[in-house]
Amino acid sequence: MSEFSHYEADQSALYSGGHQQDASSAESKGKVKKIWMVTGILTIVTIVEVGLGLYGHSVGMPKSMINTFFILLTLFKAGYIVKVFMHLGDEFKNMILTILIPLTLFIWFIIAFLMDGSFWLWINHYFGIR
Amino acid sequence: MSTVAVESNKKIWGGGQSPFNLSYGKIMMWYFLMSDAFTFGAFLISYGTTRFFSAIWPDANSVFRSFPYCGEMNLPLMFVSLMTFILILSSVTMVLAVHAGHCRDKNGVIKWMVWTIIGGIAFLSCQAWEWTHLYAEGAWWGSFRNGAGAEALPHFFKHDVDPTLFASGGADAAHKFFNFFFTITGFHGAHVASGVVINIIILLNTINGTYEKRGHYEMVEKVGLYWHFVDLVWVFVFTCFYLL
Repeated sequence: MSEFSHYEADQSALYSGGHQQDASSAESKGKVKKIWMVTGILTIVTIVEVGLGLYGHSVGMPKSMINTFFILLTLFKAGYIVKVFMHLGDEFKNMILTILIPLTLFIWFIIAFLMDGSFWLWINHYFGIR
Repeated sequence: MSTVAVESNKKIWGGGQSPFNLSYGKIMMWYFLMSDAFTFGAFLISYGTTRFFSAIWPDANSVFRSFPYCGEMNLPLMFVSLMTFILILSSVTMVLAVHAGHCRDKNGVIKWMVWTIIGGIAFLSCQAWEWTHLYAEGAWWGSFRNGAGAEALPHFFKHDVDPTLFASGGADAAHKFFNFFFTITGFHGAHVASGVVINIIILLNTINGTYEKRGHYEMVEKVGLYWHFVDLVWVFVFTCFYLL
């Protein structure tokens, strides 16, 4: 059997290395503990977000500042989910980059479209359309 | 035989080995999720564009202020926070199922998969309630077009909204808001629903011992990726619709 057919025929060969562990081992228990810790972080961040949404105005925080907080906290949560829950942090660096680099398109995507929206609002206002 | 991903004196991409040390299925799941992220991103960005384009927009604290069995009590964002919490918890139980799979603990996988499925069904039930509630308030795809049913509108805006802007653009803004709301939460809900179905299939396979025979629980990990992605998308939907 050639080297090629080895992993093409049996994908599980790619899986077995390094993943298996004993449920009662210290490493396993540490991982479970980390999962619950991240759960706590995600919950607290969500509570903070809702609290900001409800009471941010009443204490006189400017809307732009509140929104910046919301976006930062959302990215913070997303990072934890992808890194810990989806185990992306454990993959090869090149693999991570093939996922993350295409996503940078979103930077252009968001800026371009939101600017377009506000331009339309401005020009409609300028010509008295609405 | 364990697969060594990279040997120093060999071309990594020359074939015969896996440069990322990942199976085909898992890599393709990641790339599928990336493309799905663009689909959701396009939806949310078109929502944002429309919102920037509008001089007036419904207020989330006014639209989402109800809780089941609480009648007219004003409880802004409480119900959606509960939904978010349920989805986060089901993501946690999923990652615990994946971990049990790493330990080849069949009963652990079964236990945590069952909790994940319960969480998914609970989330969908909450969403069904929310949709029904908004429908009862006159909101649906295409509602408030040309100002039809406008008597329900003040409900959805801040009390101190500019009356001139409200009269000229309120119905149109609510019309667009709800089109986007039902489309995007519906698309997300369809992902949750298919995720629940896939989770049930994987649970049945686990119970039947398919993965025990195979020697590993990688399938649990693959559906886990999908399930976490659904949670991840909800984090962004939550921010865009309910917070910003």
